[in-house]
Amino acid sequence: MSPMANTVPFSLNRLVIVAGNTFLEAVRQKLFNFLLLLAIALVASAQFFREFNFGSSELKFISDFGFGAMVFFGSTLTIAATAQLFFSEIENRTALTILAKPIWRTEFIFGKFLGVFAVVGVFCALMTLLLAGLLYHRESGLMTMHPEAFEHGRIIHYADLVVMGMLQWLKFGVLAAITLLIASFSNTNLYTVVMSFFMLVICHLQYLARDAYAQVASVPLRLLVQVLGYVFPNFQVFNLADQIGVGSGLDASVALHVVVYALIYIGVIGGLAVYSFSSREI
Amino acid sequence: MTNAVPSAAIEIRDLTKDFSLNLRGIKLRAVENLTLTVPEGQVFGLLGPNGSGKSTTIKIILGLLDPTAGECKVFGVPSRRVDSRLNVGYLPEAPYFYRYLSGMELVKFYARICGVTGKRLDARVAEVIDWVGLSGAAKRRVGTYSKGMLQRIGLAQALVHDPRLIILDEPTAGVDPVGAAEISELILKLKTQGKTVLITSHLLAQIEDICDRVAILDRGRLILEGNVTELVGQRDRQALIVDPLPLEQLEELKEWLATRGHTLNAVEQPRARLDQLFLSKVSRSPKGGKE
Ligand SMILES: Nc1ncnc2c1ncn2[C@@H]1O[C@H](COP(=O)(O)OP(=O)(O)OP(=O)(O)O)[C@@H](O)[C@H]1O
Ligand SMILES: [Mg+2]
Repeated sequence: MSPMANTVPFSLNRLVIVAGNTFLEAVRQKLFNFLLLLAIALVASAQFFREFNFGSSELKFISDFGFGAMVFFGSTLTIAATAQLFFSEIENRTALTILAKPIWRTEFIFGKFLGVFAVVGVFCALMTLLLAGLLYHRESGLMTMHPEAFEHGRIIHYADLVVMGMLQWLKFGVLAAITLLIASFSNTNLYTVVMSFFMLVICHLQYLARDAYAQVASVPLRLLVQVLGYVFPNFQVFNLADQIGVGSGLDASVALHVVVYALIYIGVIGGLAVYSFSSREI
Repeated sequence: MTNAVPSAAIEIRDLTKDFSLNLRGIKLRAVENLTLTVPEGQVFGLLGPNGSGKSTTIKIILGLLDPTAGECKVFGVPSRRVDSRLNVGYLPEAPYFYRYLSGMELVKFYARICGVTGKRLDARVAEVIDWVGLSGAAKRRVGTYSKGMLQRIGLAQALVHDPRLIILDEPTAGVDPVGAAEISELILKLKTQGKTVLITSHLLAQIEDICDRVAILDRGRLILEGNVTELVGQRDRQALIVDPLPLEQLEELKEWLATRGHTLNAVEQPRARLDQLFLSKVSRSPKGGKE
């Protein structure tokens, strides 16, 4: 390409238009409907565990349970939505029409990413809100029942809860970028979903391998494991506290590091997805 | 914009496209050594049987596929570059669009991608939807459209940013004769506005009526190219259409012609073409259904 090739500048505006359309597809194809079911299930199970009368440890339980649900369903939603929203363009051949417009494939891919990221963001926000509501409700109840356990006021750090929700959102962003990278070269939706789940497991468990090999293995093997540790993002870093929102507060500078960590991975993996998509035959 | 060669809208040189069919390296040659120039301001027909490489050629022109060899330029800009598509509108074959958008939203989406903004946006969207005769269905979801309506909304989307070159891959497939005639009219109107149109179609009669120039592909190779009037015009013949003549008068006419050195080549009963009959009987107005 000649240096003057670039007469159509990269446009954030087009990127956002693609993202908006992707988000609209998720809304109109009723991708959010399952959220309602999930919310009902969560509230119902929180009621159910109340029977055991855990006391204030019940709050920790609700918090862990809620975040567990968020991680599990959020990961599923991220992978399914990314693969679906990408392949609906390919399979319905709408990609043909849009890529025949003066648009960069970078704008298309990052537009898709941003659309999915917004969908997952809505999911995380609603889940965090729901969880905070549940905790607040239960905490208020417990405070009247056992005032002696709450002499220093409320024990839940609601601000931390929000920070943790946002970190999960960023983690899903990295996962969406990974799914998009796989989708950019694969031919089917199913393959993409299966491979992405595989990657999800690796990213969640890679720290185990790193810890295990750090002690025993020979130097080359240890280096290899180290390198792999950088290639695959470590999803464990997004879980800042063992007990979310309960106990001592979060360290803001650590949280900030995690944000940067996530953004770097999203940028690099997204860039790879663009590179791989740029030579794809539509 | 200044182009060194302003006369060519599309320039294809020695274009070859192979598709690899499997991992063992078996290839299918979809387009072979194609050299073609589409002059600006003309309606150009790309013809050929199924699988002859028409759609593949179009996708290469649009930068959707990379050529295996050779080059392709649109208004002098290589197809791989994004700016080669600035002045191009494209209707894919058997189009299918975001079914969750309404017709209006769909055209608006593409218009915004092409940089149509502000006050012009709504006016322009309404205008092209009216052109293709879908005003009555513009608020309905595209998912509920019939095949012909999809073609029309596809045409609207291709025209919305007022491109200089319009590429239509079988715009009349699945469209009824009334609609096909309307699309022909629209194409001729575009031509009077100075646009270049590249069109593929299997309806040869229709192509013949609207194209200035045609190229015929067969198994990826160019086998014929030229101006329509040169290719199909028979200048050494003339047809006279008269009231029914009694047999003896016909004999007289033959003699009259013979004394002047002419022969009567054929006597036929002219028949109305079925599509013309259809057009005269079917109502033209409510297009695209009512609201
Ligand atoms: N993505 C692809 N992978 C492999 N082969 C392909 C691909 N796309 C097209 N082909 C092959 O290339 C040849 C030309 O196809 P193309 O779609 O260009 O034909 P066409 O002239 O548009 O036909 P039609 O009139 O049926 O639309 C066909 O043999 C087709 O099977
Ligand atoms: Mg075709």
